[in-house]
Amino acid sequence: MSKTVLTVDDSRTMRDMLMLALTEAGYHVVQAEDGVHGLEVLRATEPDVIVTDINMPRMDGYGFIKGVRGDEQHRTIPILVLTTESDAEKKDRARRAGATGWIVKPFDPVKLVDAIRRVAT
Amino acid sequence: MAMDAMAVIKQTFFQECEEQLAELEMGLLAIENGDHDQEIVNAVFRAVHSIKGGAGAFSLDDLVHFAHIFENTLDLMRSNRLQPTPEVVKTMLRAADVLADLVRAARDDGDFDDARTEALAQELAALGNGGVAVSAAQEKEEEVDLSQFRPRPIAFNFDEEPAAPAEPEKKTFSIRFKPKPDLYAKANEAALLLREIERLGVATITCDTSELPLLSELDPEGAYLAWTVELKTDADEATIREVFEFVEWDCDLEIKGDAASEAEELDVLALIRKVREAVEPEAASVSPEESVPAKAREPEDRGPVKSADILKIDQSKIDQSKADHAASGPQQTTSRVDRDRLDRLSELVGELVINQAMLAPRVTEAGLARGSDVTVGLDELEQLTRGIQDSVMAIRAQPVKSVFQRMPRLVREVAAMTGKSVRLFTEGENTEVDKTVIERLADPLTHMIRNAIDHGLEKPEKRLAAGKPEEGLVRLSAAHRSGRIVIEVADDGAGIDRTRVRASAVNKGLISADAQLSDDEIDNLIFLPGFSTAEKVSDISGRGVGMDVVKRSIQALGGRISITSKPGQGSVFTLSLPLTLAVLDGMVVTVAGQTLVVPLTAIVETLQPKGADVHGFGGGARVIAIRNMFTPLIDVGRELGYRNEAADPLTGVALLVESEGSMRSALLVDAIQGQRQVVIKSLEANYRHVHGIAAATILGDGRVALILDVDAVVANSRADMTAYLEPNLALAG
Amino acid sequence: MTSELDTPHATLELAEVLDLKAAAPLASSLLAHRGRDVALDASRVRRLGGQCLQVLLSAKNTWNADEMSFEFINPSEDFADALLGFGFSLDKLMDQELSR
Repeated sequence: MSKTVLTVDDSRTMRDMLMLALTEAGYHVVQAEDGVHGLEVLRATEPDVIVTDINMPRMDGYGFIKGVRGDEQHRTIPILVLTTESDAEKKDRARRAGATGWIVKPFDPVKLVDAIRRVAT
Repeated sequence: MAMDAMAVIKQTFFQECEEQLAELEMGLLAIENGDHDQEIVNAVFRAVHSIKGGAGAFSLDDLVHFAHIFENTLDLMRSNRLQPTPEVVKTMLRAADVLADLVRAARDDGDFDDARTEALAQELAALGNGGVAVSAAQEKEEEVDLSQFRPRPIAFNFDEEPAAPAEPEKKTFSIRFKPKPDLYAKANEAALLLREIERLGVATITCDTSELPLLSELDPEGAYLAWTVELKTDADEATIREVFEFVEWDCDLEIKGDAASEAEELDVLALIRKVREAVEPEAASVSPEESVPAKAREPEDRGPVKSADILKIDQSKIDQSKADHAASGPQQTTSRVDRDRLDRLSELVGELVINQAMLAPRVTEAGLARGSDVTVGLDELEQLTRGIQDSVMAIRAQPVKSVFQRMPRLVREVAAMTGKSVRLFTEGENTEVDKTVIERLADPLTHMIRNAIDHGLEKPEKRLAAGKPEEGLVRLSAAHRSGRIVIEVADDGAGIDRTRVRASAVNKGLISADAQLSDDEIDNLIFLPGFSTAEKVSDISGRGVGMDVVKRSIQALGGRISITSKPGQGSVFTLSLPLTLAVLDGMVVTVAGQTLVVPLTAIVETLQPKGADVHGFGGGARVIAIRNMFTPLIDVGRELGYRNEAADPLTGVALLVESEGSMRSALLVDAIQGQRQVVIKSLEANYRHVHGIAAATILGDGRVALILDVDAVVANSRADMTAYLEPNLALAG
Repeated sequence: MTSELDTPHATLELAEVLDLKAAAPLASSLLAHRGRDVALDASRVRRLGGQCLQVLLSAKNTWNADEMSFEFINPSEDFADALLGFGFSLDKLMDQELSR
């Protein structure tokens, strides 16, 4: 059974790239455009892993992560954060918000899949 | 197939760019009309940020560069550091036009107006500079700064097989891993990490359940188990650590390389083969993926290389390589080299140095005359080896800029959080140092800068009252000084409040109430574990990280940290670090006829013990009184098992060392030979772990010397002595 | 989980997914059966995380200390594999006392 990955990013380009890399690797992908949307899609689709951007309208990545971790039903879902240029501050903040790990943008598809495997059953 | 899909996404990207450009323009126009809603500013910022992100993925460099500058200026506006005056917004609207031109030029493979783009980039940068025109020097800095922002092209290549090592060397690692509750809370999972480790080779996993309570006492979301994995693998330690990348703060992790399973052979043919593989990969029978990329295999020349045919190196390549090192502008052609390959090359070169040095005495033993073919060949080999070593070190070097350029934003954020007004000056961003050092600098520097703003700088009103400008200054600088890199973090704040620091240290039992301390000694109290002057833990600096942790992480890099402070004028923290982790400043000493190297960073001072100062206890334990403070005297010769009888302290030298937790001990050695920089070679990778020894090195005369593991020697000796000495010891500050 | 209450011997069925959020319910339902011989039916288990492993190991120790029997029956392949991944064999978990 293929696993479902929820990608949350306000950029369609980035969502498409994630979709391409993840479907090539055999994942099923669902998408959301920002944190608020992400929480809705999360409850509707029960993904196995979440990949989220940080800078988004309405609700940013930190708010979204806190939302997931504060939701008893979904708090155990691994969340990978997309950060630019291995930004230590962002990583640190995301980690404290409850992120499971991170992926550096622009991402290398092989590393993306490696990172997902490292956090998802 | 993947490429077609990427072409489609690229089309999507350009469509999205048009939407973002429209959003950008609309937002800027709204701002121009006096709408100062924060969400509009955020949307404008996001539009540019998003264009930059996508452009990075497609390696559209010109677009990325300009978007980057634009984004920086918008970020200032977003954080209220730049007021959206009509002039500012006008400039931004014109910048939006340029951005649109750049997008279309990238889409249609067309041209754009270089001069106009450059002019606007400068105008934007000037806005960030408080509207002041950028001076020529600063302008140059900014230019270099941008060249650093090189997006990595995405390699959508799923077919590529991982490079198979030509000759896998299986090593055994012992990994101890103990998750903390946070690891699970963030949805990381011990089971998966163990599985990833298993993928690296043959693993024997044992679980330590000794801390597990009975069910009635168990916190179901606590963490009680620890695992030990004996892993036989051809992967290196870095690969193993990478598995734990996401959880490094949320677990205790210890990785020991135990023994190379293959005995090290001293085989001239193997040695030559290794040189060839390192220098000319095509010549050796390795797979193409394994070959070292172009730049990595061009050694720098060192002295006259009269190479034998088999080791021939094209002189033009050497010159080219030198030229490459000399140039550092954005035009420089670079090749990206996989980190693992580079590490492997460094490792091989390290091995080469040792093998080469061990060969020399064998040749002499064999009775071969100086000047014979073999000894001449050996001399050539030595020079070649050194050349390779230097050029590998040069490849690993990177400007500290990659860390420095993260700081302006940090400064803005911390300034905003503390309500202080701060200006950051950076100097020497192009100073180069080993990239491993750079990576491990980010955290301590981040903490030091936070600290400088939060604790160093005064609030604006206090500054004004003290007759200082309202805006505080923080200066971050780097420079090379006598073979090391020196980094300073300076602030023009209030300086260390010595009365308060002293009182706090007394309160916490770190010093006695009547201790006689110089100003300098008081300043250095802030590096003691458990010290924190802030009465209430502040949001910014109080993240459970104290200056003691900064000090430990700097020491772990073979560096030192010091502070000088002037009341009312500010403080300067100075870091001095080695240029590479492969090199160590050591004190070469003699112990029981053996030559040992003691890392200089551990040594506080050296002294000649006097009879009256040394006191014996039971079990052969001794202490030495240093300025009325009893310090354990550790007989290194006995500790390492080089001799059974105790050494005479009066004929030896004591090295006062500081080990983990700022504990001081005196190491008794027979004599000091001198100080020197040595190349570190892991003993474990070549031989096995030896108690009290951290690594090995080759001295100038070709002898192998062992590098003392001060922490291990002290810890072991303390365990032995504690029973006798505990009541008598005062902790030396 | 299903159980036969009020009998000296209880059979509990382990959930499919024994992840972080399953740990607390697992611990409390096991505690509710303390003092009785317990057999855990592991036939449905697909996933076993570190914290549920802790609960199971701790329960095993607790039952041993109480001198009551605590065993796993019908282990699924995933369950046995997960235990192996954590460094335990099913046999070891069934037969021996854990080192404490």
